[in-house]
Amino acid sequence: MDTVKKVIPKTLMYFILIFTILISIFPVLWVIFSSFKTNAQILSSPFALPESINFDAYRFVFENYNFGLYMMNSLIVSVVSTVISIIIYSMAGYVFAKYDFPLKNTLYALFIITLLVPAQSRAQPIFTLLINMGINNTLTGLTFVYISLGMAMSLFILRNSFASIPDSLNEAASIEGATFIQKFWKINFPLAKNGVVTASILMFLTNWNEYFFASLLTTSESVRTLPVALQFFNETFAFNYTRLFAALTVIILPGILIYSIAQERVQKSFATSGVKG
Amino acid sequence: MENLDGDKHTKMGPVDSGKRVPFSIKTKKRKKPTKMEQKEYKGIYLFLLPAIIVFLLFNFLPILTIIYTSFTSWDGFNPPSFVGLQNFVNLINEGSFLISVKNLIYWSFLAGIVHVGFGVLIAFILYEKPFGWKFTRSVFMIPNVISAAAWALIFRFIFDNDMGIINSTIRMVFPNFNIQWLSQSPYAFWTVTLTWLFFAVIVTLIVYNELLSIPDELIEAAEMDGAKKWDVITKIQLPMTRKSIGTSVIASITARVAMYEQIALTTNGGPGDDTMNLPIMLVNSINNMNYGYANAIGFVMIIFGILTLVGINKLFRMNEKL
Repeated sequence: MDTVKKVIPKTLMYFILIFTILISIFPVLWVIFSSFKTNAQILSSPFALPESINFDAYRFVFENYNFGLYMMNSLIVSVVSTVISIIIYSMAGYVFAKYDFPLKNTLYALFIITLLVPAQSRAQPIFTLLINMGINNTLTGLTFVYISLGMAMSLFILRNSFASIPDSLNEAASIEGATFIQKFWKINFPLAKNGVVTASILMFLTNWNEYFFASLLTTSESVRTLPVALQFFNETFAFNYTRLFAALTVIILPGILIYSIAQERVQKSFATSGVKG
Repeated sequence: MENLDGDKHTKMGPVDSGKRVPFSIKTKKRKKPTKMEQKEYKGIYLFLLPAIIVFLLFNFLPILTIIYTSFTSWDGFNPPSFVGLQNFVNLINEGSFLISVKNLIYWSFLAGIVHVGFGVLIAFILYEKPFGWKFTRSVFMIPNVISAAAWALIFRFIFDNDMGIINSTIRMVFPNFNIQWLSQSPYAFWTVTLTWLFFAVIVTLIVYNELLSIPDELIEAAEMDGAKKWDVITKIQLPMTRKSIGTSVIASITARVAMYEQIALTTNGGPGDDTMNLPIMLVNSINNMNYGYANAIGFVMIIFGILTLVGINKLFRMNEKL
């Protein structure tokens, strides 16, 4: 009786674990494997491993469908918005962590509370704002929007990171005559490395994957990003499933690669992003 | 947060220690600003300026615009004209809106109960450290590092009637099986739901970290007093992780309010209005140059978000200690 009582929960537990692993891994493997199969193999033997690895489908999508351009656009927008965000939110986060000034708490609360407003609800005002600034349908406009979307999260991470640096360092530096900017850039910023890396990964992945604003704010092909290109796949690759899956693989791979290199950091940054509520 | 099991993978830096609820904004009380600090005010405001500009342009002004123009009729070219509650009256009389709200309520319950429940379950299982727990934790994250748009498309292909692996598999047994999962009622609603229902790794990570922060002595003491495993879970671990579970519920419901890719790239609200939701309606209104209406929908989204936050906060007594 006792052993039965122990065996049943154990079995159930492993059953749930296997279920979790399968649903997480299988869709991705199916896409990657299918990109090396022929149409017929995809249809007839969905579970089989590909018979051979050739990159014809990949070569085809890059040579014939401006895939390189979409990738460059995605890369430019994600990298530039991440770098600018890190700079300006480090500056703000540093000040919030290290100094007292009037309205400090009100300002920080206002910045963080923006998390409560679903970004999608702000779509129309942002759309009109970009038109008025003359940067709608440009990579610049999209970059600005991504900088604003990451504000609360980056600020939260970076402020906490600066707050964990001992104040005594700044005091010592002040005695030595360091200027405000020197204290920030030479002393605190390098020490806030953990927060900077965590926030960067979160920002880059979010922006690389972003679809809603990219699809709303870019219309011409020259500024299309990879996730937006997805919606045209069905028409473009009609019934050539191999190419469809090759294109899909190109889009999902960077996220998976970054994750496999910096697993712990990605987990940490996403756990923080969940806290945002 | 102390790392109690010596597992370095779960070691959390300063980022989340003791600050898992960012809405309880606590800034360290400091002594009066020194002369040195006061001299630096110029630098302080200079450093804040870019963030303030971004906040004003992309957050503050848009929210004011949403609130104001939701009471107007506006096409984006002519100045908005005040129409009172007309947009909201029209919303309530529109079938798509009622279905969107109904869907949101269904999805919120599914998110708060099944999605968070599954995430919590996995967190408790990982806490037991069964064989392969680290691997499970690693791969469970994969769906979250992929673009939601790509994930939606992958699901569309998986459930595709011709090439999809679901139907190909079923046809191995029942050769004449045909269901268009994403364009047939009532399957579409549930297929869209499946794109996110079990992918609760963020919930798992938040709750798991909170579980690790429960002192071992507490559990050992309870076990010495004869507490069973089940008692430890229900009387100690669940109550003590209450806040992170509450946070997870808020986060998952908020994600349902904003859910877009999973629908836009699979059903686009169809068949009929089966999977319609507020963001899809909002984008359609923008495309129809019906900006006042779009912002009325945005306003409803914001209100729903705030109600969720307040309600769940109360329900989980998140502001109380223990």
